[in-house]
Amino acid sequence: MRAGRTCLPVLGALPLACLLALWQSVAAAGLAPAALLPAPAAVFARLLEQVHNPVFLAHAATTLLRLFAGFGIALLIGLTLGLAAASNRWAEALIRPLWRVLAPVPKIALYPALVLLLGFEHASKIALVVADAVFPILLATYQGTAAVEPKLVWAARAAGAGRHRALLTVVLPAALPMILTGARVALIISAIVVFLAEMLSSTDGLGHLLVYASRSFQTVDMFVPLITISIIGLLLNAGFNGLRKRLLAGFPEEG
Amino acid sequence: MHARASSPSSFAPLLASIGLLALWELAARLLGITGLPPAYDALRELPAILGDAEALLNIAASLRRMLTGFILALLLAVPVGLCMGRSERLAAAFNPLLMIIYPVPKAALMPIIMLWLGIGDASKTIVITLGVSLPVVYHSYQGARAVEEKLIWSAAAMGMGRAARLWRVVLPAALPQVFVGIRTGLVLALITMVTSEMIARQTGVGSILFNALDMAQYTTVYAMIVIVGLLGFVLDVLIEKLRYSLVQWAEPTHEIAVGTS
Repeated sequence: MRAGRTCLPVLGALPLACLLALWQSVAAAGLAPAALLPAPAAVFARLLEQVHNPVFLAHAATTLLRLFAGFGIALLIGLTLGLAAASNRWAEALIRPLWRVLAPVPKIALYPALVLLLGFEHASKIALVVADAVFPILLATYQGTAAVEPKLVWAARAAGAGRHRALLTVVLPAALPMILTGARVALIISAIVVFLAEMLSSTDGLGHLLVYASRSFQTVDMFVPLITISIIGLLLNAGFNGLRKRLLAGFPEEG
Repeated sequence: MHARASSPSSFAPLLASIGLLALWELAARLLGITGLPPAYDALRELPAILGDAEALLNIAASLRRMLTGFILALLLAVPVGLCMGRSERLAAAFNPLLMIIYPVPKAALMPIIMLWLGIGDASKTIVITLGVSLPVVYHSYQGARAVEEKLIWSAAAMGMGRAARLWRVVLPAALPQVFVGIRTGLVLALITMVTSEMIARQTGVGSILFNALDMAQYTTVYAMIVIVGLLGFVLDVLIEKLRYSLVQWAEPTHEIAVGTS
């Protein structure tokens, strides 16, 4: 068993390596024309080249700006509504049915309306990111807060803390693990949604680069923005996990 | 803090919908811009769309692709997730791969897959299958991992084979978790369905939506959004009903959806 455990990371690399090898060999053997399936080596070489290209970087920066603006707003709204729903009966009665109706709606369908209302620029894309990212944060805040041991709150109140103070200094930190899980999911959703919005209508950003490349059948250039946004998602995920470890030093690990 | 049991009262969501429509109507009247027609005008458009044979065919085509992709994903993802949950080696082998696929926007694969398979049903169905699979694998894995070992030992002691154990012990025990994945997967199926149709505009709800936008038929745009929203809500209620009838012994879990489009 112990010997088996040490080779587990190697085992994890196996399917990845096989996939890359298959891709490379299909491309190299000429089974698929390079116009349809470029070799992975070509794609990654192009990616490395683009990382030094200021135009490409400007597109990536636009995407990141929209991503973080949308995520930030969603975090603010989600936290506020989640806390309100968990601490106030009336707010809960108002918010719960609304989210029951709105959560299963595919938000991307709202995008045409957002374009009509907010135009083709940043605002409509940021609004779509907010619409998609707010629900995991809201749900996590609500559930995390509702699960906080009531004795903690009673103790704080007995020690003289006001309602709001108890909420901010006791409930919020105790609900933090759950909230951070929701926020991490929301962050990845933001990265994906911003990319899709840029694909649907835009003149800049990574999603636009993919559509632009597909119109001229530049297959290699289609893969590059897709891989870039995926790497951004992975990095954000890893960064968030790091932050989580620092903030939650002392909390039990998530299963 | 208080955690109340969630009572699936049916009229609260109805009230919420009416409230949203009223808010929309009010905003439209106050703003008075062409980009936001009043809710009443959009709703009046609904019978026309739902009575139109071509629109109905489009909606049916969307639903057919979505259900095909969804069912394919379930057939594929549930067994994989369950096996991963019961085998440490399989889990170790596939977790890194899944982690890397996780942040890839699946609907964005559409232009690339279109190069290979054309803009027809095949590409869209594959994209939907990809989108749905991930959360279903993840939650099936989590569910199977948490199955009480003793149950499996007892089944083995009574002479059940490996496959039978997976089907008759692990699957039922993990079913509440699997349903969390299915519910998330449904939302993702709808998202990828609409997005793939918006990217490859040929048939379907997404293409009607964007063509109406291009032709400045704003009430149609909003009416279609209402239809898509209703579709999402109704399918979600159906899944919830199915879950309740299959696993009513388990607590309803409103877990944070792990999964992305």
